[in-house]
Amino acid sequence: MSADGKIGLDILSRQVAYSGEGISVKSLEAEIHQERTVQDNKVGELKELRERNVEIAGAMTEELKKLRKFSDYLDGTATKDGFWAGFKEIMSFIPGLRSLAISQRSIEELLKQQYQVSARRVKEAAEYVDHLKQSEQDLYKEIDRINVKIVEMAKNEQVALDYVLELRELETELKAQEQALTAGSVEARDIQAQIDKVFARLSEHSSNVQLYGSAEERYVSLKANTRKLLETIRNLGQDIQQYTTAASIKLDMASAQIQAIGRAADASVVMLEMKRSLDVMTESMNVTTQFVSDTQVFFRSNLDTLMDELDTFDETTTKVLDENLAKSREIEEQRIQAAIDKAMRKSESGGAPAPEATPGT
Amino acid sequence: MSLVAFNTQQLAPVDAQRYLQILERSLRSARLNNSFPDRRRLSGTVKALQRAFEHEIYDQLYLDSRVGLPNMASFTRVVTDQEMAADSLSRMSDRAELERRRDEAPVFARMADKHDYYSWLVDQELAPVDLHRVLLRRHDPSSGSASFRIELTKLDGSGLYMHLTIELTQVASAWRRKVVDLDQDGESAAANEAFRTLIYRCAALDAESLFIRLHGIEGVTVERVARGVIGPLLFRLPTAAGGVATTIEPEGHLGRLWQHWLAGDGASASGPEVLATFASDVAAGDIREEKSNDPLGPLLSSVIEDKERRRYEAMRERYPFKVFKDRKFVATRGLKGLVKVLGDAAGTRNLVYDLRLPRG
Repeated sequence: MSADGKIGLDILSRQVAYSGEGISVKSLEAEIHQERTVQDNKVGELKELRERNVEIAGAMTEELKKLRKFSDYLDGTATKDGFWAGFKEIMSFIPGLRSLAISQRSIEELLKQQYQVSARRVKEAAEYVDHLKQSEQDLYKEIDRINVKIVEMAKNEQVALDYVLELRELETELKAQEQALTAGSVEARDIQAQIDKVFARLSEHSSNVQLYGSAEERYVSLKANTRKLLETIRNLGQDIQQYTTAASIKLDMASAQIQAIGRAADASVVMLEMKRSLDVMTESMNVTTQFVSDTQVFFRSNLDTLMDELDTFDETTTKVLDENLAKSREIEEQRIQAAIDKAMRKSESGGAPAPEATPGT
Repeated sequence: MSLVAFNTQQLAPVDAQRYLQILERSLRSARLNNSFPDRRRLSGTVKALQRAFEHEIYDQLYLDSRVGLPNMASFTRVVTDQEMAADSLSRMSDRAELERRRDEAPVFARMADKHDYYSWLVDQELAPVDLHRVLLRRHDPSSGSASFRIELTKLDGSGLYMHLTIELTQVASAWRRKVVDLDQDGESAAANEAFRTLIYRCAALDAESLFIRLHGIEGVTVERVARGVIGPLLFRLPTAAGGVATTIEPEGHLGRLWQHWLAGDGASASGPEVLATFASDVAAGDIREEKSNDPLGPLLSSVIEDKERRRYEAMRERYPFKVFKDRKFVATRGLKGLVKVLGDAAGTRNLVYDLRLPRG
């Protein structure tokens, strides 16, 4: 009420300034869906990485088997007769020894080829890192965008709440004034008309409070999921970088040794050194394979959980939206029921103005 | 500057760029013929490494510390990058998109650089770590004879990069295992594994030894064995950090002379100094005079021990061929004196190509 005792009806004609585009259940659903698409794409990228990971793991396992077999022959563990049986076996790989089966392959050449394959596998795994870092950046950007939305929704909710409170105050004042007037008088009808307007505005803006409030909550949930996805991607990227850098350094440092041992093995038999050389390469491959294998567990335990959570999030979102729709329907029904009640009361009193029941109260 | 691994030294990116520029100029100055590894492909590898450093793909260049050439890790890096390039490009974002986001985070700048590197690399011809080829020269089905040229390019275990050409004729026989197999239409050939392995293993032998070794195989007449060897490349390079990088472990007579030079005249050198050698070595029936013009590679006949001489001479009588060895040099001004010392001591007159390098 103003200082002169008059009720401030200008509240009713005030334009309430919400930022952004107007909100409705449909538009909110569309926006949430759009943000979810970004998450889905990133999960899709992770799925693709998982498939590629399986391919690389398969290839590396095969190559490791070869390296291990070769290495096992060298220390005699591949045969039950121990080192000498292994020695004879491996001699069959080495050319130029007349008393034993002549090899068709040069050890030096074989080791160099294997080195190249190992180097390539490590690089293939390392290629993930940049892709994951790019996805990480995309998701940081996405979080920024969601944060803008959250702030916007929170502000709009506050604007709606403030306005609703003002309307409620006005409604209380109008009802108090109505009580002081003779029922059915012109003044009373005029006040009732104002109360109806207040109610219409209350209905509109309380619905906005609800929509902006739930939109804010949903964006907060969306942000939490995006952050979870981002952390998954960041951890994966860091792990890959660590593993592949270690494997790559091992290979870089071992290249001259591998070549020298291959050469020596071709010229004579330098079993122990050759085994060491193979072990370095095996170790490097092993580190990467172990990592690739760990990553699969990581993918299984994280990606699937993440996808489940995102699905649950979808379910929750749908549930909230359904509840909102149900509530809207309920309010609408109450309104209709109130209108029917009024109509019935008017009819029973033979056309005289019936005491009004405020809809929804 | 010290070794980082067995026979391995490294150069930081700025020094690596300078070194690669020197290597490329040395290769170009040497005017290599086709008895050497394919210079175009080797230049392709050098350029690929240069590009990789320009785009900050690698943090260091690994060299063989005995011969001053890129080692197997360096050769393999660009070869495997090329193997992966097309597939990686297909997975990358659009180049313009990466450029647009360049300043957003370091990963976009890195991916844009990698995109440029891979796009350029995908079509390049690179030097192989190893490459075997068998070419059919003549085929006479009536006599069952076929002549072949066998070529092997190899990054040898010694760290040197070499090319080996063997021309031979094989006479087929029902009871004899052929060293080279012709396909049914008589148009393409492949050395069998054992023969291929034999050549691969013996690639480090000189042409004369290899000629004798192969000529001993039944049914095979060797006509020519030629080798072209790139390296060593000895360098003294002022580094960006204010120090000096040099080839750390040069071997043999040249290595000792180099160390002596480094301690003497080399100590007061201000700019980069380089000495690259390119040896060729031929054993063939059509060589007129047996001679070595290689101050680092005397003829076998001049160094063979007395107790082996009779056997050696008997073998040479059996196989009518002669040997010619040569070595040319590419050197900066400060190292031409060292080549002269080498040549004077060995009685050789060698081609020395001038290597001019921009200072700084």
